[in-house]
Amino acid sequence: MPEDWRALLALVLVFGPLSLFSIGGGASLLAEIEHQAVAVHHWTSPRDFADLFAISRAAPGPGTMLSALIGWKVAGWPGALTASVALYLPSSLLVYGGARLWGRWRGSTWHAAVENGLSPIAAGLVLAGGIAVLRAMPGGAAVWVAAIVATVLLLRWPQLNPLALFAVSGVLFGLAAAFGRF
Amino acid sequence: MAEISGRDAEGAARIGLGAIFAAFFMLGVTSFGGGTAAWLYRAMVRRRRWIDDQAFLAGVALSRVMPGSAGVNLTVQVGQRLRGAAGAVAAVVGLVSGPLVIVVALAAGFARIAGSGVAHAALDGVAAAAIGLTFATGLVLVPRDAGQVGQILIVLATALMVGVLRWPMLPVVLGLAPLSIGIAALQQRRRS
Repeated sequence: MPEDWRALLALVLVFGPLSLFSIGGGASLLAEIEHQAVAVHHWTSPRDFADLFAISRAAPGPGTMLSALIGWKVAGWPGALTASVALYLPSSLLVYGGARLWGRWRGSTWHAAVENGLSPIAAGLVLAGGIAVLRAMPGGAAVWVAAIVATVLLLRWPQLNPLALFAVSGVLFGLAAAFGRF
Repeated sequence: MAEISGRDAEGAARIGLGAIFAAFFMLGVTSFGGGTAAWLYRAMVRRRRWIDDQAFLAGVALSRVMPGSAGVNLTVQVGQRLRGAAGAVAAVVGLVSGPLVIVVALAAGFARIAGSGVAHAALDGVAAAAIGLTFATGLVLVPRDAGQVGQILIVLATALMVGVLRWPMLPVVLGLAPLSIGIAALQQRRRS
């Protein structure tokens, strides 16, 4: 039992602080979650991380379900709940308290400077997440090619349904493996 | 939170906590691809008219500056407007609980067939496309105006330090955020 509690505490200590640093959304945390889960805490192998990442993106809901899956991998259902609460609660409390203050300061110059100043960091963190997962993926060159093709398709046709793209890519990779091409 | 707060926001037409939970539960299990904010707009602003356009845009602006998932942050604010703290809790729990069960069930189901190389390969394919979605999302956020060289350098520096050099994210953000906000403030002063 103490083992379990220690695992849950470790989840809180990783995801709680990240909650307050997820600038511009959960995607900005991807690189750090990968680093913590694989290299620092050895919660998952790179192989498992790639699987959990894929599953978290194919499921519905806010894009940060990856943390719940890491928690589940570490400590089952209690782990999934603990990681989710640790990730959502601090930022939710902040936004709950901040909504009124923010409305009062709307239109001031520093308000706009904070907004414009944080967005390039958010963009950089999201790109870093893509790079980090790509480098950790065990799949080889085919994964890089597919990721680049998917990027180009989604930039060219933003209305494209990502799920359809996930499905096509998954089926192609599955077929290639079934027929022993990679 | 069983206690029902009598002091709901602005005394607007009271919407039950159960209805809030149910609406956000539906939103959670039907919003695919991570763009929860866009789905929320359709469900809560357009269809149910629980908040108006202006309140929604103010919420979006706030969630750009505040940490946290934009979808969850907007959900907190809509729930808060409808029924105060209890409304915020009902909305967030509603939004997150369905996907949480689904995603863990998917992972548990996958663990059963994980021995098969084909299943792993298929997930590699899904992950590759999901990485493409991540890149596309990040690239859309990159500033494009000619005068924003500073911002583009900040994007590159962040991606390089966190993604390639694998420096820990928190100190990188703490170091670059003041710099980036300073650049934005200088540009505003020059423009005005």
